[in-house]
Amino acid sequence: MKIGIPRGLYFYVYYPLWYGFFTSLGHDVILSMPTNKEILNTGVSSAVDDICISVKVYHGHVKHLLGKKDVDHVFVPRIVSEDKYKYTCPKLAAMPDLIKSAFRKNEKKLLSVVMYMNQGKKALHEAFSEVGKKIGENDDRKIKKALKAGIELQDKATMCLRKEHNFLEVVSSIQNLDSLLEKPVKKERYTVALAGFPYDVYDGYMNGDVIKRLQDTNMRVVVTDMLEPKLYKHYTKYMIKDLFWHQANVAAKGGMYYMDSKDIDGVITISSFNCGISAVYEKLLDLYSKETGKPLMHIVVDEQTGDAGLVTRIEAFLDLIRVKRGDGLVAS
Amino acid sequence: MHRKITYTFPRMGYSYAAFESFFKILGYDVMVPDPSNSKTLKEGVSNSPQGMCFPFKILLGQFAKLLKENPDKYFKIVSLESYGPCRFGYYSPLYNKILEDMGVTNFEVVNVEGIYPPWYKGVPRFIKKLVKLVGWHAPWAGVRAFVIAGWKVYAVERLERKFYHLIPREKVSGSSEKAFNRAFERIHHAPNKVKSIKKILNEELKKMDQIDHIDDVELPKVGLVGEAYMLMDYSNNLEIEKKLAYMGVDIDRSLWVTNWTLDRLLKTKQHLKHMKEVNKGYLDFFIGGDGQESIMNTILYKKKGFDGVIQVLPFGCLPETAAKQILSNVSEDYDVPVLSLSFDEQTGDAGFVTRLEAFVDMLKSRREIKSKESKAKKAESVTTR
Ligand code: SF4
Ligand code: SF4
Repeated sequence: MKIGIPRGLYFYVYYPLWYGFFTSLGHDVILSMPTNKEILNTGVSSAVDDICISVKVYHGHVKHLLGKKDVDHVFVPRIVSEDKYKYTCPKLAAMPDLIKSAFRKNEKKLLSVVMYMNQGKKALHEAFSEVGKKIGENDDRKIKKALKAGIELQDKATMCLRKEHNFLEVVSSIQNLDSLLEKPVKKERYTVALAGFPYDVYDGYMNGDVIKRLQDTNMRVVVTDMLEPKLYKHYTKYMIKDLFWHQANVAAKGGMYYMDSKDIDGVITISSFNCGISAVYEKLLDLYSKETGKPLMHIVVDEQTGDAGLVTRIEAFLDLIRVKRGDGLVAS
Repeated sequence: MHRKITYTFPRMGYSYAAFESFFKILGYDVMVPDPSNSKTLKEGVSNSPQGMCFPFKILLGQFAKLLKENPDKYFKIVSLESYGPCRFGYYSPLYNKILEDMGVTNFEVVNVEGIYPPWYKGVPRFIKKLVKLVGWHAPWAGVRAFVIAGWKVYAVERLERKFYHLIPREKVSGSSEKAFNRAFERIHHAPNKVKSIKKILNEELKKMDQIDHIDDVELPKVGLVGEAYMLMDYSNNLEIEKKLAYMGVDIDRSLWVTNWTLDRLLKTKQHLKHMKEVNKGYLDFFIGGDGQESIMNTILYKKKGFDGVIQVLPFGCLPETAAKQILSNVSEDYDVPVLSLSFDEQTGDAGFVTRLEAFVDMLKSRREIKSKESKAKKAESVTTR
């Protein structure tokens, strides 16, 4: 069978798990193509007006896969929680319902299941058994084996992230993560940290290719999802109380951790237009940047981020970083 | 310097009368923030993160004004919130940080959250918060304050319902409003005894009944659903209920302090049953805020014979925006017109009224068509006989 996986939202977190599971069961995984104009436009016209752009784009990816005749199912999970007492955004928790409401004719093709990512293997096993049943796999041994393969792959991906290989590299090396693990990371004179939800940080079409743009100017780029959560646990105190959403905590605390790190020159947040949750961690980082004096810049992804204005802003930010290090401006 | 503590809390609709009494009964000084004006809105908006919920911005502006105007006082801002499942759960840390950043320091925020897991930590934390909030009081004093405040909430809601019922039926325009305002003030300042509150309520209800009005009319019926604060705070939703009522509409609001508290905190059985049955296939999952309620109540209104539903939401509200997308399907499936109105600081009176009027006109003409159709059907069945 061919299982379509939309290249959006939690794809940028759990793709290894899903890939490992489905391929181990002998299915083909078909990804929607990286976001482009057409996907964006379809998304914008399918979803309700004032919803965040990331969710709109996701609609576009789903639609793209629904339109492919050879794709049997499109995988749209409902990810509810990721850490103890930390949940996902209401829109994410409503995702299958939103997708269903937008593409009612294709409801049958959607493959969705409720997933709690923090409740151990048993909960995952239950969820994936349900997925299995829906695609005609009732052999529990096979499900268990496939889930094991998925978890292994996910763990390996996490190791790659900890080694500062970003998630896009994980995606392109999904069949050979071992060699990615071995690959050394290039050191540069400057390092910029990106804080934000993985789907905003890694969708280059939407955010004006920030990662590539920075790397092209010889900046090392790190992302908050590379950090071991233990490292930033203590920032709860500054925040007075933990945020309710796991990914927002990662962005907020990870961002603060980077601000306190000597080898990080500046932090850029990347968030989605109309995302209310980012507003909270951005404010926290604003205040923290005031305290630490670490340069901070916000990029808000919307329907036309990649314009000239953004390029100028990034350049100005990089100049600021260079000046802070006592290096003069580089004529470019 | 020892400054006496003054309590304050988020102002919402007419319920402030009851919350005010609660603190007064316990013997504290209390001040209610003024309703929003363009200055408080501007201040709240410009100091909040841009994408933050509109209610947060509204309240921030109102608190900032109160605190700045009374620099000689020290405030305890009581923020009622839960640990999520929405941004609501993070209001108080942000008030703290932002007000401080604005240079306001004569306050502390006390957030009364529900008890959240893990239980062995949650329960003591809740008790600690309560003590921090009201101090060590003889338990009965607390209970008494709670009961009386509860009665006031109830009384005000009864009056409000009567008020909205009367407006489209009154013969002299404005007469019920006058009566309501007087009744509200009487409850607001009623002596703190259940008996007195009951007595005043009955008297005032009777007086309102005596207003010259026509009871026997068929009006278009509109149900209001949406995010709790926006829906319940008349001062920020541009008095949507009153406006609709003056347009000749029978309105019903789905969320009130009483039913909201009962349904949420006590999880009444009927509420849970409705949520499960009605939402099935639309929004099967609790997503926080009032999103699921909005869908449920829209369907229930249709089943009760309402002509249309208006969803009131703060711009960018997470659960309500999700609900908005799904409501368009509900509207189609159940053949019930739904108007979603998002509010932010730019929502002006003029465009707003036009949209309401257009919606009401549409409902009226739908009613006419329907009644003609049913008449035609009747006539048909007569002739065929
Ligand atoms: S967290 Fe923000 S960007 Fe993500 S789905 Fe929710 S509103 Fe959209
Ligand atoms: S329900 Fe809406 S307004 Fe309330 S906290 Fe959530 S997003 Fe904000």
